[in-house]
Amino acid sequence: MDCVLEGNAVKAFGKAIHSLSRIGDELCLDPMNKGLALRSVNSAHSAYACFLFSPMFFTKYCLGPDQGSEKVQCKLLMKSILPLFRCLASIGRNVEQCQIQVNTPNDRVKIQFFCRHGITKTHNLCYQDSEALQAVFASHLCPNVLKAPARLLGDMVMHFPVYQEEITLSITPLRVSLRNYFEGANDHMNIMYTEMSLHPDEFDYFLIGVESDITFCLKELRGLLSFAESHCLPVSIHFGAAGKPVCFSVDDMILEATVVLSTLVNSESRGPSQLAETAPRCADVVSESPGEADCRTAVPAAMEMIASSQGSPITHLPALLLLPTCTEPPHYQEEAHTTPASTLCSLLFRALSSETGEGLPVLVCCSEEEESEEEDVMRSPTL
Amino acid sequence: MPLSTQSQGEDEQYVLVASLDHARNLSNILKAITFKDHAIFNATPNGLKVTVEDSKCLQANAFIQSKIFQEFTIKEDMVGFQVNLTVLLDCLNIFGGSTTPGVSTALRMCYKGYGYPLTLFLEEGGVVTVCKINTQEPEEPVDFEFCSTNVTNKVILQSESLKEAFSELDMTSEVLQITMSPSQPYFRLSTFGNSGNAHYDYPKDSDMMELFKCTKTQTNRYKMSLLKPSTKALALSCKVSVRTDSRGFLSLQYLVRNDDGQICFVEYYCCPDEDVAED
Repeated sequence: MDCVLEGNAVKAFGKAIHSLSRIGDELCLDPMNKGLALRSVNSAHSAYACFLFSPMFFTKYCLGPDQGSEKVQCKLLMKSILPLFRCLASIGRNVEQCQIQVNTPNDRVKIQFFCRHGITKTHNLCYQDSEALQAVFASHLCPNVLKAPARLLGDMVMHFPVYQEEITLSITPLRVSLRNYFEGANDHMNIMYTEMSLHPDEFDYFLIGVESDITFCLKELRGLLSFAESHCLPVSIHFGAAGKPVCFSVDDMILEATVVLSTLVNSESRGPSQLAETAPRCADVVSESPGEADCRTAVPAAMEMIASSQGSPITHLPALLLLPTCTEPPHYQEEAHTTPASTLCSLLFRALSSETGEGLPVLVCCSEEEESEEEDVMRSPTL
Repeated sequence: MPLSTQSQGEDEQYVLVASLDHARNLSNILKAITFKDHAIFNATPNGLKVTVEDSKCLQANAFIQSKIFQEFTIKEDMVGFQVNLTVLLDCLNIFGGSTTPGVSTALRMCYKGYGYPLTLFLEEGGVVTVCKINTQEPEEPVDFEFCSTNVTNKVILQSESLKEAFSELDMTSEVLQITMSPSQPYFRLSTFGNSGNAHYDYPKDSDMMELFKCTKTQTNRYKMSLLKPSTKALALSCKVSVRTDSRGFLSLQYLVRNDDGQICFVEYYCCPDEDVAED
């Protein structure tokens, strides 16, 4: 792949990388016919982000001759690529053009900055080949949809301290509210509770199918909100009941960004004591377990992010509806090696190894029936 | 001013007296070479030269000409001593280095000669502090034998363009490689770190390039740990000259303008890295 960005596009690209760095430690560069996707997943597989830049975003966008038959996806360490785009202000001032080449003869990702005064900065970064990890999210199946200017969400979120890990979003026909979330609420005296509510009229779009309270990781979302604000793009939120993932997305003509976060199954911590004690925090790193490892490596071949045209999630709808019954402790106890957090993880990406489909319903499912040529080659090897 | 009310008699004992209305004109430039505790001071009628060395591979010199000082009296051809530079800087900043306009620390630096301490009289807002810093026998600075006749390549760049490059340098790289050539890439800084390599290229016709005189293609590597301190001098400077000689020794010369617009120089000499591993 060989692409060129100019002017403000370089800054936007850098901003996207900043946002992705809030999610995971690795960045996956996925050049596709419909554009360049940058993806990141957190280590617990409870947060996923994807920025898709259409070919129009670039001054030049060429996929190499081998792109059709063999997908080249590069996994880079975030700490390798983030420093290149660290100071966005300086990039805005100095960088005239940025060229990114993948599959150069020396197996590196080559990122070149052509700066003012004729100065050229060339970075050859090592990468690992990898299958892209894509989350599939059936946003068209979500009962609740909100759309608001980024500014509105930014203003709401600003009331929470930077260290606030998780927040709860509640929706009723009369209001939408955000409040901070603390697990185990033992220390009532030392916590400041913040809650704010908005009237549905504040939103550009408000659709409520089911009243719900969802708790998710705020930290991982801040990157997208910051990106949306800098581009003045409205943010769409698709969600359902607690336990199902929430999807935040922005898009304009030339780029789309999505963040999918898992939500706590019992957001009020009033569920079974087991869950309350070990209530998974989205940002936690989950301990290694066989199930967990599989979950990470057995990446489902993916559908597109906005799956409405693909159709296959419908076949799994019954699985989604089964979810409430699976919150009972016995199911978790059976999974001797998995913690509730890893269960949450498995819910997000179906591990191909667990073909039997036992116990764990899949919320975000892969489509094994997809025929399109793109998805075919993105299938992970069977384990 | 209290500093000038010293008796005439006392003054005659000093072999070196140097006064500055603004002590920061000295302390700022000394900060640019403070990577080791000890500094060798060498005063001549031309001015003050302060030298700091690291393991015989790196040497930094700061030159403050006599005309920078409000008073510069020297009774011998050369006066030399060694002091703890960190202590000296602490003393120069003893009033806290406030930047309130109109308020500054005045300095009178006096030295009686071999065996005597370096005496500093510092005054700010009517308060006088006297500091006496022990001196040591000055070591002989290493002579890098860097002479202009041996220089193979020389460029002068505006510091602004290099400052950004140096602040972005991949610190996981053990070396900084400098390539200078009459042909492409002309002037290149390269690093080889954990994530991969990086190259910063400055073409000879860049408007940041004030002078470009390269006679032959040379690539040399220098230990990053040795060159890192030079970024302080780079930060203060407005222009930098980069020269290499036939042995690959590096000379970096920085033009520093102090708060009063006067010019001082800082230079760094560095040996090339001996264990050169091929890429």
